[in-house]
Amino acid sequence: MDDFTLVGARPQAPLPAQKKVPWYRGKPVAAYLVLGLIVLGCLLWSAFSKTDAGYMDLSACNLAPSRSHLFGTDTMGRDIFAMIWSGGRLSLIIGVCSTLLSTLIAVFFGSLSGCAGERLGGLLTRVNEIFISIPNLLLIVLLQAILGQASVWSLSIVIGLTSWMSIAKVVRTEVRVLRGSEYVQAARCMGGSFLHILRVHLAPNFLPSILFMVIMNVRGAMLAESTLSFLGLGLPLEVVSWGSMLSLSEKALLTGSWWMIVIPGVFLVATLLSLTEIGNAIRRSLGHSQKIL
Amino acid sequence: MESEILLSAQNISHSFYLSKTASVRALDKLSFEIRRGEIYGLVGESGSGKSTAARCVMNLVKPQSGHIFYEGVDITDPKQFGANKRLLQTSRQMIFQDSTSSLNGRMKVADIIAEPMRIAHMAPKRGTYRKEAAFQMKYVGLDEIYLDKYPAELSGGQRQRVAIARALCMEPELLVADEPVASLDVSIQAQIVNLFRHLQDEHGFSFLFIAHDLSMVRYLCDRVGVLLRGKLVEEAPSEELFQNPQHPYTKALLSAMPLPDPIRERNRKLIPFDADTLCSQGVMREVSPGHFVRTEGGETA
Repeated sequence: MDDFTLVGARPQAPLPAQKKVPWYRGKPVAAYLVLGLIVLGCLLWSAFSKTDAGYMDLSACNLAPSRSHLFGTDTMGRDIFAMIWSGGRLSLIIGVCSTLLSTLIAVFFGSLSGCAGERLGGLLTRVNEIFISIPNLLLIVLLQAILGQASVWSLSIVIGLTSWMSIAKVVRTEVRVLRGSEYVQAARCMGGSFLHILRVHLAPNFLPSILFMVIMNVRGAMLAESTLSFLGLGLPLEVVSWGSMLSLSEKALLTGSWWMIVIPGVFLVATLLSLTEIGNAIRRSLGHSQKIL
Repeated sequence: MESEILLSAQNISHSFYLSKTASVRALDKLSFEIRRGEIYGLVGESGSGKSTAARCVMNLVKPQSGHIFYEGVDITDPKQFGANKRLLQTSRQMIFQDSTSSLNGRMKVADIIAEPMRIAHMAPKRGTYRKEAAFQMKYVGLDEIYLDKYPAELSGGQRQRVAIARALCMEPELLVADEPVASLDVSIQAQIVNLFRHLQDEHGFSFLFIAHDLSMVRYLCDRVGVLLRGKLVEEAPSEELFQNPQHPYTKALLSAMPLPDPIRERNRKLIPFDADTLCSQGVMREVSPGHFVRTEGGETA
């Protein structure tokens, strides 16, 4: 069987070896580094630190950054260095969990309305549009009021439940294009199940286009948490998160203690910027790989 | 074995609804048979229902009436289809016209070729799926260096070879090719058609070849059916059909074939035809052994 002659193929010279490109070319190294440090710091802190970040030392309140308190203390005498790391953990958990939830809802809802027939799909889209048209903050406040006392998990659920709409819209559009493509039909001919088609053909093709939105969703969720905490609707003051730390800022403004605002602010902004940068880099690299298609 | 019938389509009809009132009759009581090891060509103008016929054969479109028997299994019957799912899905393979859209742009060539084997949980004969894919690639005239390429990095002819390799790796009994060369340029078309011929010689599979390029059909096919508005108007062994066309539509089609000789080409005259008068209700009559022509009810052939 192995000895046959090639028919109809022009002899081709082997392709030249590809040029070595430095691994960091076009990758947001700084963003990965900053985000990695922050995430690692938060994880390690909660694993190894024995000090309670919520411990109030009233004899040492409103202290500027010094040797004993690296980032200073807040109006209630809590060490900001400890608060940053333990609070960052909560902020990140809220960001990641709510994004997981909203992505799950979005993929499910989007695929459903994309694969459904003309009528059901249209109906689901209209439902989606109604949700989009309601201001996000309003929905969050409403849901939070229903769920009662805010906790990390209730906040994650509330933010997750209110941020899936735009991703679902993209998923639906992508699925509608993909389901008619010939490779999906070919896979159906071969006997591929719906799950196989979703896993092998649909998901890899729509995940990249929502990946940017998903990462921006983490950012949005962390931002929503800080906004809510700042407004006093989020985590209670005694639960430390970056948002609840920022909510102390109005008091800090009166006393002129800049470190209370600047330090959690810098950490929040650095994280959000890193996420944005990574999201943009992913979007760029996708555009690159798709340029021929 | 030569004359054993592998696939038999009987009176299949299908209409597409454009709106509540308007519909297009793509197939109109179409019947044809494909024997084992035969290359059957289906030709006709665009919109004559060629692709719909192929899609019906592959169960991508369910005909509204009529039956299609494959190895004696009625594939239009959901019950029988379900009972013989594995046989049907492994032994029939399809090649599409546009290789750009029939290959998933996010899969590497190796994964694309191995996909049907993975779906069928077939143990690869040559150890790994990758080796199997490499073998199939060599078989269709592609170098192994393309294993880790994405379809977008290949040329049109190479992509079509990948699509052929994907279909061949299941060692199908029936290969359905829906205008497999129409999107390629002429030199690549020749390569691919030669490849088909070579592969068919070697594997001996049956082949439903759909094309609108008549010279290609003449070169490749054993038997040809001429389709007009979803109906067969003539069916004959291909040399017989090209030497001795009987139906006016076939004559008109053949007259549209460019000739490789400039003088004859200059003098070539298109035979006009009026589809409305030609597409008649008549029956298929045998004018010579194996040569069937649709003729008006009362007239003689």
